[in-house]
Amino acid sequence: MLFWVIAAILTLGASLAVLLPLAASAKGASSSGQHDLEVYRDQLSELDRDAARGLIQPAEAAEARAEIARRILRLDNAGAAGGATAGRASVTARLVATVAVLAVPLVSWGLYVKLGSPDLPSQPLSERLAKNPADSSVDELVARAEAHLAANPADGRGWDVLAPVYLRLQRFSDAEGAYRNAIRLDGDSAVRQAGLGEAIASAAGGIVSADAQDAFEAALKLDPANAKASFYLAMALAQEGRAKEATTAWQAMLVRLPPDSPWRGAVEQALAKSGSSDVASGATNGPDAGDFDAASSMSPQDRETMINTMVAGLDDKLRQNPRDPEGWMRLVRSYVVLGKADQAREALGRAIAVFGADSDQAKKFTAFAASLGLTATE
Amino acid sequence: MVETGHFALVLAFALSLVQMVVPLFGARLNNQRLMAVGGPVAVTGFALTALSFAALASAYASSDFSVASVWENSHSLQPLIYKITGTWGNHEGSMLLWVLILTFFGALVAAFGSNLPATLRANVLAVQGGIGAAFFLFILVTSNPFIRLNPAPIEGRDLNPILQDLGLAIHPPFLYLGYVGFSICFSFSVAALIEGRIDASWARWVRPWTLVAWMFLTGGIAMGSYWAYYELGWGGFWFWDPVENASFMPWLAGTALLHSAIVMEKRSALKIWTLLLAILTFSLSLLGTFLVRSGVLTSVHAFATDPTRGVFILCILTLFIGGSLALFALRASRLTTGGLFHPISREGALVLNNLFLTTATATVLVGTLYPLAVEAFSADKISVGAPFFNLTFGPLMVPLLLVVPFGPLLAWKRGDVFAVAQRLMVAFAAALLATLVTALFIDGASVFAALGVGLAVWLILGALTDLAVKSGVGNVAAGIMVRRLLGLPRSVFGTAFAHLGLGLTTLGIVGTLCFGTEKILSMHAGETVELSGHTLRFVGLYPAQGPNYSEDRGRFELIGVSGSPVGEISSAKRFYPVRQMTTTESGIRTIGFSQLYISLGDEGKDGSVVVRLWWKPLVTLIWGGGLMMMAGAAMSLMDRRLRVGAPSRRRKQASAVPSAGLP
Repeated sequence: MLFWVIAAILTLGASLAVLLPLAASAKGASSSGQHDLEVYRDQLSELDRDAARGLIQPAEAAEARAEIARRILRLDNAGAAGGATAGRASVTARLVATVAVLAVPLVSWGLYVKLGSPDLPSQPLSERLAKNPADSSVDELVARAEAHLAANPADGRGWDVLAPVYLRLQRFSDAEGAYRNAIRLDGDSAVRQAGLGEAIASAAGGIVSADAQDAFEAALKLDPANAKASFYLAMALAQEGRAKEATTAWQAMLVRLPPDSPWRGAVEQALAKSGSSDVASGATNGPDAGDFDAASSMSPQDRETMINTMVAGLDDKLRQNPRDPEGWMRLVRSYVVLGKADQAREALGRAIAVFGADSDQAKKFTAFAASLGLTATE
Repeated sequence: MVETGHFALVLAFALSLVQMVVPLFGARLNNQRLMAVGGPVAVTGFALTALSFAALASAYASSDFSVASVWENSHSLQPLIYKITGTWGNHEGSMLLWVLILTFFGALVAAFGSNLPATLRANVLAVQGGIGAAFFLFILVTSNPFIRLNPAPIEGRDLNPILQDLGLAIHPPFLYLGYVGFSICFSFSVAALIEGRIDASWARWVRPWTLVAWMFLTGGIAMGSYWAYYELGWGGFWFWDPVENASFMPWLAGTALLHSAIVMEKRSALKIWTLLLAILTFSLSLLGTFLVRSGVLTSVHAFATDPTRGVFILCILTLFIGGSLALFALRASRLTTGGLFHPISREGALVLNNLFLTTATATVLVGTLYPLAVEAFSADKISVGAPFFNLTFGPLMVPLLLVVPFGPLLAWKRGDVFAVAQRLMVAFAAALLATLVTALFIDGASVFAALGVGLAVWLILGALTDLAVKSGVGNVAAGIMVRRLLGLPRSVFGTAFAHLGLGLTTLGIVGTLCFGTEKILSMHAGETVELSGHTLRFVGLYPAQGPNYSEDRGRFELIGVSGSPVGEISSAKRFYPVRQMTTTESGIRTIGFSQLYISLGDEGKDGSVVVRLWWKPLVTLIWGGGLMMMAGAAMSLMDRRLRVGAPSRRRKQASAVPSAGLP
């Protein structure tokens, strides 16, 4: 509302700038002949000064004086011929004036309505960060936490809270830094070490490097039951080509893991892939380590494209061959990781529909989705 | 606030349309009221554009990422000064700055033009309004800085790190003040062509505008050159790069215009030529503005990447350059020619200056556009670089520089070249001496270097000779001499300062190119290196953290004669994570007029660092000369005679004239 008031005032001011001179009585302006005469007079006096300083020889000065005098004479002749006819407005002039006065509001409002976004208020960053957290988007909350941590870099709890959020947002190198800060300030813990390892591995496109392994091993030392660390260490074995050892490790995990652990799905999936080829080649071929390897050397756009095609391929296969619970879980997880919550929800709904809403499998799906922070309904 | 700015911009466009049409009709119909519209509309248009620019700048300063241009070119962690300068560190914002300056100059003509003949003033404002309308439309249609994003991103993409420098605060505004200042000369020329007559006060108005524009353009180019010198880390000050040439061509043409405008103002001669030069100078400014931003320069094909923008640019260029030249062809014959002069005279010298400068401009234009033409019509990609310009531009400049000292000493209408030569004997002898001393006593000096030093000394002393002769050195007593010197018109000082600045720049260029030394080596911490008598010790590489970058700062100690450190120089490599870009911060220490320049290269595996060192003798004179030229233009602007020419004001001044310090 305020904006429209300002816009109206500005338009009024601009229109007045056109209107007032048109409405004012015409002043009798001096003709251009008078202007010229003054300039010529000044040229004459300047010539005298130059001659006095020796910048022009006396003979040439006289010649120049004659030239200027001739110009003044010509001026007098011309002045007698045509005088200035100021004042009375002709029809054309009236027309031009009317169009001009109308053009200002018409052109400006017409163009602005086409180009502008009048309903969009200014959004200075500081104001956005100061508003009620409940109204903020995740990005804004993260930015606010970042601002807080930039001012209080020694707040270990802040880093601890922010680190998993970074992981979820796929800002892996930020997550790594946050976990390191949390460990430095608030001390070691299995969760932090495992998170650090995941951040390093994810940043490398899923490859569990030596750094990541160190972190996972540190986590296991603190808490031998840490599922994330065990899972990724087994993954490291698989990536090194020690498939048997990896399978053993994963199978040991399945034995130890409580039945409702969110890691069960991931382990079963990994087992399916690393196990006999007829299990893996069933319906779903998710991205394997080789694909990840290729992905990590790509540009971000290419990588995203590759991931998107793979996910789309998986989606297609599941439409043709829907009775594949692990495939569904992988698909849901992929969508969550890609930040496409709606599609994840939709995939979850389809999966539940395939197996029947009351089936055990559907409950598993719901629990799995909940572990990813996703609910079946909005 | 942002939308208010957007609306103000649209409103300013509407006003520029009125400003283009109404005064033009007024002048045609000889209707005072219609003509009177131009002034208030120009002033209001400027106020609205300023409001619009302020809105954009405040969006940048407050990191309002709901504005697309802010999101693309800013970051919340940037220091405030770079947030603000970032306003014009991008295509959209810089175009807005361009029209802001355009409307500012238009408002100045409106505010101080009351002593102009009414029709001339109306026509000038109309042409100025036309230029404004074209640019407002260009901005609104193809490069709108007020496009919004909803929802707004939380973080921006950062300003190009190379632009995160104080240079951005000075270089573009000065350059635009120069480019756009010439638009006033252009408007005056086109107005005169529309009217079919040149008023006597025409030149009195055009010359100060030329001076203002030239002054800022000189400053802008000098600043840009120094910026490139210290920021890019190559140690060069001029690369004959097309972008640089784009600003250099209007400067050369503007210099020619400056000189021909003097003749026109003083002697009413060279009218038509001055008119044409004014048109050409602004055309080159337009070309410069657009060549840089159309993407044509890196590749002709970049034109196609944003077809609307490219086509729009072509249309504007065709309309203004083609239109004004066509008007010139139609109307030039109706204009009367003015005062006569002999070939050997001040006027003749200025014509000679114009010949050389316009030829030099043409040379640069060919060198800049030829590769583009070749690339457009064949698949070949050729590069025209320093060798071409050294072979063409150099030989054109040397004779011009040789005759520069003669010009101001020649009399108007008919001069005596031998008398002038006699007066310049001292300067000539000193130049000869400087050449001999350089050739005989400085190791490694080539003949060219010695002649170059001689030329620079000739220019500097020639400029001082002008002042000395005009104040009567040797003929009158010291007291009278001082009184005469102080009583000289400011424009005489202006000429002398500008020519002196030219000499200083020449000396700086010769010194750097001919006597500079360079070393590239790999250094470990603690090692020392010697370069042209200066010993440097590499202290080590230290990591540091900036607001939006991290850097490795290499520290060097300058070791004095006694073996103890006398100063520190540090050079850094900065990494800006948002854009994933690395920049070099060169380390510079000024010793006298010379500089020691350090640039860090890559780090070796064993902890060593590649270091590039330059010793650049007299290098600061290159830009110091530019500042001197600016000072000359400022002096000339203060000259009393620029304030004369109005019927009403004249009478008030009449009593003051006789006491105005005649010798």
